[in-house]
Amino acid sequence: MNNHLRALRAQRDWSQSDLAERLDVSRQTVNAIETGKYDPSLPLAFRIARLFRQPIESIFEPGKD
Amino acid sequence: MPRVPERHYQRRSMAAVVVYVAIVMLARAPAREATSLPLQMLYALLPVVPMIYVIWLLAQRIRASDELEQRTHLIGLGVATGVVAIISLIGGFLAAGKILSLQGAASFLLFIFPLLLLVYTATRAWVARRYGIDALCDDDGVPAYQKFLIGALLLAAVAVWVWLKGAGDFELGMLAGMAAVLAVAALLFGLRRWRRRNARRVEP
Repeated sequence: MNNHLRALRAQRDWSQSDLAERLDVSRQTVNAIETGKYDPSLPLAFRIARLFRQPIESIFEPGKD
Repeated sequence: MPRVPERHYQRRSMAAVVVYVAIVMLARAPAREATSLPLQMLYALLPVVPMIYVIWLLAQRIRASDELEQRTHLIGLGVATGVVAIISLIGGFLAAGKILSLQGAASFLLFIFPLLLLVYTATRAWVARRYGIDALCDDDGVPAYQKFLIGALLLAAVAVWVWLKGAGDFELGMLAGMAAVLAVAALLFGLRRWRRRNARRVEP
């Protein structure tokens, strides 16, 4: 799964730690999601979408597999 | 459950291990010398208390973790449980077949819990690496080199105590060897931390 989390975070000038605090996860988890190493659960994806006020499908999109 | 800094758990776990080592050293003689069975049992089982606290801390830590951290914790615990179950089974069969003495089986059982923690930590670190996480160097935790250094000092202290008590060469060699391994690990992790800090300073 691909995502635009890094770009959205950069638009708001937030660090990974800032975003992690807002999502109540660790900074390393934010990094794993941004680098595509970890696909978040549906509840966390909804939290991300709500935080950035965007629909989930505009943040996350299916990858090649 | 709100997130709690790793440091919180790590400091308490390390304090519990120090208390555990102290109790093991101090309660050994009274456990042998106590005249009544309940008192003997009390002294013998006293070291279990700090270990129950460590397990409770681990449960709290997992509960307060996020979903990715929980995944790495649970895979680590799953693998560690499997390894420990197999080793316990082997030990049990060896004791049942009288290949291992009862004293040997008892020593064997004492190493089950440290082995579980060791396999859990190693597996968790390995799984976390797949997600780009350095589980041995948490952002908000006690630095890895400090953890290894405390372990080395603790084992060295026990080795000195064992030496003063006139214990056998095997026990002394094992403790001194483990302390040396941890001291080398502390040195390597300390060097890695120093190199990373320097690299960050060089970056524009």
